[in-house]
Amino acid sequence: MVARRIAARAAPLLDALQVAIVGIVFVAPVLWMVTAGFKDSDAVTALPPQLLFHPTLRNFATVLTTMPFLRFALNSVVIAGGSTILGVLLGVPAAFAVSWNRMHWPALLMLAARMAPGALFLLPWFVMFSAIGAVGSFWVLIVTHAAITLPLALWTMLPFFDALPRELTEAARIDGCSDTAVLLRVVLPLVGPGLAVSVILCFVFAWNYFLFSLVLSDIHSRTLIVAAFNFVGEGVTDWGALMAAATLIALPPVVVTFLGQRWLVAGLTAGAVKG
Amino acid sequence: MVGFPLLDTLWLSLQHFNFGSYPRFAALANYGTLLHDAKFWQGLRVTLALYLLSLTWQLLAGLYLALLLHRTRVLRGLLRTLLVSPFVMPPVVVGMMWLVILDPSLGIANWLLSLVGISPALWLASPDWVVPTVAMIDTWQWAPFVALILLAGLQTLPPDVFEAAAIDGARGWGLLRRVTLPLLAPSIITAATLRSVDLLRFFDIIYITTQGGPGDASQTLNIYAFKQGFVFLDIGYASALMVTLTAIVIGAVLVLMRLRQAATW
Repeated sequence: MVARRIAARAAPLLDALQVAIVGIVFVAPVLWMVTAGFKDSDAVTALPPQLLFHPTLRNFATVLTTMPFLRFALNSVVIAGGSTILGVLLGVPAAFAVSWNRMHWPALLMLAARMAPGALFLLPWFVMFSAIGAVGSFWVLIVTHAAITLPLALWTMLPFFDALPRELTEAARIDGCSDTAVLLRVVLPLVGPGLAVSVILCFVFAWNYFLFSLVLSDIHSRTLIVAAFNFVGEGVTDWGALMAAATLIALPPVVVTFLGQRWLVAGLTAGAVKG
Repeated sequence: MVGFPLLDTLWLSLQHFNFGSYPRFAALANYGTLLHDAKFWQGLRVTLALYLLSLTWQLLAGLYLALLLHRTRVLRGLLRTLLVSPFVMPPVVVGMMWLVILDPSLGIANWLLSLVGISPALWLASPDWVVPTVAMIDTWQWAPFVALILLAGLQTLPPDVFEAAAIDGARGWGLLRRVTLPLLAPSIITAATLRSVDLLRFFDIIYITTQGGPGDASQTLNIYAFKQGFVFLDIGYASALMVTLTAIVIGAVLVLMRLRQAATW
């Protein structure tokens, strides 16, 4: 009895300890990366690691001066932003149509697109866009990244549309709404959280996507992700600069998801739990 | 834009087509080459080994995290917030980060091992350890995602079942194995399905860190197909490899969907 009572007392403490350890395991590598970006070259490779050090911005200056970092960042914003807008503009009405008319084939096609490896798309695109000399143009990059964002937008919106009561649109239609007006004025305001999740996920996935820009971008339209890869490929031994660049590149998706966190977890798991 | 490339790749896989020359119809010749290509079988082995290892680790770690988050109140909100960041970070950044941490001579990982008296490891530079190392990196990035799905599943389970089980004297391991896990099975299979799709076509982190090396030790099918297509410009053969890989992914998803139906209560 006594042993069990002690165990009952100790349980929350043990859990707290586990939470702390888990937190360290998942946060420490990121923390290490971020702090390395602020260390000078001696401090960055010092073992044992210096927990207290004089922070310097020199690495960030190196990153901004040795490559057109801001230009690449702008490219990433244009391509990720453009393909998010395109994906959501096409994906949301498509999801509504699929949900409301119980159509299956567009959803299945998008599921196939979600499962196919990126290179499966890339091979024909590469042949096609090379033939018309369009490799490296922004519209090619925006349209190809929409192959990532469109299925994502469709599949995240589906459970939100499915959850709406059908009487809603019937009532609106009797009041004289057109199909477009039903979607814009009645349905969309009700699926606001779903829309937020769609936009966040599309932007994050398009920003992070590596393969398409690796092959289809040129020096003018290169994204940050590909620039970072080249940075590694050049055998850069300046770890401080490398980690500073990594931190800057990871910042937009992490910040966007933190801001939208409230909707994100619900959106990611909607439809994944039941149904 | 989506349907056309899928069909076009299938068509391209039936041609002899080196980029820059004219394509010639080859029927199934590319698939014949594939059957006798040692690098294809090596790629398949690497893909499956990485898949099974990563999936097992992230399901176990994800389940552990979900159960921990479900029963504890301490710092739960904060931990949930922090757990989102690994899987929204660009894989390229995750690769860069671990490349530096796991550096054989100057990395902090080997220093930490030396503190507990373990001799330094080569990690990504060792042909024997590169696959487990990549699996570990991917588990770090995606176990939190699995955990959030399973946590959402745990929160929808009917509490009266657990009350009844507690009255019948079930607790600890027995409760987990006989009550929680069977009820949670659909969520577990959903998480496994989502991860299977990404793991079978593993690309980004390997391309950043090892490019398939050392030798061919981490050359997954996706990496091999990419090299055939965009380095050696053998579009026909690369297409055949991609079609085969896609068939494997779709096959795995169909099996898992069937399993999910069987496990739904």
